[in-house]
Amino acid sequence: MNPLLENILDRAPLGVAVRIARIDWAAMSEDEGRRLREFGLMEGCEVTPLHRGSIFSRDPLALTVGRMKVIIRASQAAAIEIEPVA
Amino acid sequence: MTGAIPSIALVGNPNAGKSSLFNALTGARQKIANYPGVTVERKAGHASFADGRPISLIDLPGTYSLTPASLDEAVTRDVVLGRQDGEKRPDALIVVLDAANLDNHLCFALELLQLGLPTVVALNMLDLATRDGLTLDAARLSKELGVPVVPTVAVRKRGLTELLVAVDGAIRSHAAGEVALPAEANDASLRRRARTIARAAILSETPVRRWTQRVDNVVLHPIAGMIILLALMFIMFQAVYAWAGPPADALEGLVGVLQGWVVDNIPQNFLRDLVVEGLLAGVGAVVVFLPQILILFLFILLLEASGYMTRAAFLMDGLMGKVGLSGRGFIPLLSSFACAVPGIMATRAIPDEKDRLTTILIAPLMTCSARLPVYALIIAAFIPNRGVGGTGVGLQGLVLFGLYLAGIVGALVVAWALRRTVAKGAGAGFMMEMPRYQMPQLRDIALGLWQRAWIFLRRAGTIIAMTTVVLWLLLTFPQAPEGESQVEYSVAGRIASGLEVVVKPIGFNHDIALALIPAMAAREVAVSAMATANAIDADGDEDAMAQSLGERLQGKWSLATALAFLAWFVFAPQCISTIAITRRETNGWKWPMFMVGYLFLLAYAAAGITYWTAVAFGLG
Repeated sequence: MNPLLENILDRAPLGVAVRIARIDWAAMSEDEGRRLREFGLMEGCEVTPLHRGSIFSRDPLALTVGRMKVIIRASQAAAIEIEPVA
Repeated sequence: MTGAIPSIALVGNPNAGKSSLFNALTGARQKIANYPGVTVERKAGHASFADGRPISLIDLPGTYSLTPASLDEAVTRDVVLGRQDGEKRPDALIVVLDAANLDNHLCFALELLQLGLPTVVALNMLDLATRDGLTLDAARLSKELGVPVVPTVAVRKRGLTELLVAVDGAIRSHAAGEVALPAEANDASLRRRARTIARAAILSETPVRRWTQRVDNVVLHPIAGMIILLALMFIMFQAVYAWAGPPADALEGLVGVLQGWVVDNIPQNFLRDLVVEGLLAGVGAVVVFLPQILILFLFILLLEASGYMTRAAFLMDGLMGKVGLSGRGFIPLLSSFACAVPGIMATRAIPDEKDRLTTILIAPLMTCSARLPVYALIIAAFIPNRGVGGTGVGLQGLVLFGLYLAGIVGALVVAWALRRTVAKGAGAGFMMEMPRYQMPQLRDIALGLWQRAWIFLRRAGTIIAMTTVVLWLLLTFPQAPEGESQVEYSVAGRIASGLEVVVKPIGFNHDIALALIPAMAAREVAVSAMATANAIDADGDEDAMAQSLGERLQGKWSLATALAFLAWFVFAPQCISTIAITRRETNGWKWPMFMVGYLFLLAYAAAGITYWTAVAFGLG
């Protein structure tokens, strides 16, 4: 896991567009990885985290990718490294 | 293809508006069944080409690719590849694309095109794309993909004729025998091509003010969102009571009129008693709950069609994650409020095996609509119909809400325990696309309600009617001698007396013991069983005949017994259909037996605790 936590999607502030720099595919199952790609979450794409959790937990995370809004779990967001949009 | 009716499959991503398109094309000419061997729902229907030639349409489960992550997605793959048992490979595909989400949906479309089947692309929900500020070039898209592209707005029936004309053309012009398996699609290159094509097809993209985002900011807010969700659930259960009154009274009146007519026109004999006391009393007692069941389904269908259901799943994921489930499970569990059978079937969309098993095992704890007749009868008879503390909130509705809540809390505790014992496993994932908000379409909702009403009435006409008649026979024979109670003397009465010994400690009386066994066939039979027993009991007694079942129970049961009976039904060991569907879904008898066992124990304990507590408070 990356020590620079602010570079991790799971820690990113809500409402700010970021670019996905790297995804640690090994941190998730093959099925999870494929579903992420099917959602269009891949290196180089832009996402905006929008909603996080409920009164019960920090999970899950809702974000926009392209024209879609998708829900993923914090554990997957923790495997996604981000960089600011130029 | 000569002679045979061409079969055409609708296939596409989740949320592409496939089902609306299917409904618009087939109207009410639909048949819902299961694929043989699996419990994935098979939706098929009929339509015809412009010249009247019939075609059969099939609506495949939505998926992102031909590599399935769950059971229903596997069906889509197997059908389009012609590998699904008992299912002919479709003669043509209609690939349904969400016009506002081209770059994503085109990936799957490209994969499907490699199959080499005659294919037409429906560029669906064009109105919503326009709302989002998109202008699209269908002709360009068609050129890039090499197949006809027809813009459609399913909900307004726009483009349907053109779509079928294009399908007809695609089938005609397709050279036979060149059906290919999809080449190993390179994920990234397919995605790049999809993006390139999407860019080419999008003429302009004006950013518009997204009111939907502002709605989500409130609806998904950790606190406000949860309040809205609870309020919606609360309104739903209040409405089930408040709105159903007049139509239910009308149905009850109708049953009374029918009984009166039979009594007036047919001389007293065995058959007349069977019809009046058995069939009409029993089935009638269940049919009057049709309005309540329809109201419940109306809410579920509206929540699903509007796109809110996934928001609810998002809000519930945190809680469900705590007990080892995922927000995915929220949708099957909410469906289980209507009936556990479709609920358990809907678990096929849960990818994680242990997550899915746990969700199946707790689905019967969600208060299904079959329990509603039981609750409704007892609440109406024993809970006063008044407001709580001068507010507009009815006490009866509140009790009902409490019963639902008890089931939910019970389910969470059971899930937590199961995930630490028999269904141990890694935490389940939760990945889901959030559909855009949409105005629910009258046609889709009406169709859904009609299908549910039909299923309910068919049950009332078959399984419930049959159990009622059998029960009536068991209650009528042997004939009691003068001075003895017929219900006590009959075969059923003696069985119930035996069972009464076991359930007496938890406050159950002879009436309840009698109702418990046939209630295994279908829970609402508990009501018809008591109705039949009471009709026989009241035979000849004019005053007793005039009383409703609720009024008669009021005179015979204590409040503690009534409350214990309600508590029993929160955990009620489920009906035969639920056991059967669980056996099929889990491929064996182990889990259904486990489920029945734990539910019996819980029901017994819950009823006992309720009864003893109530008696301690002087309500016995």
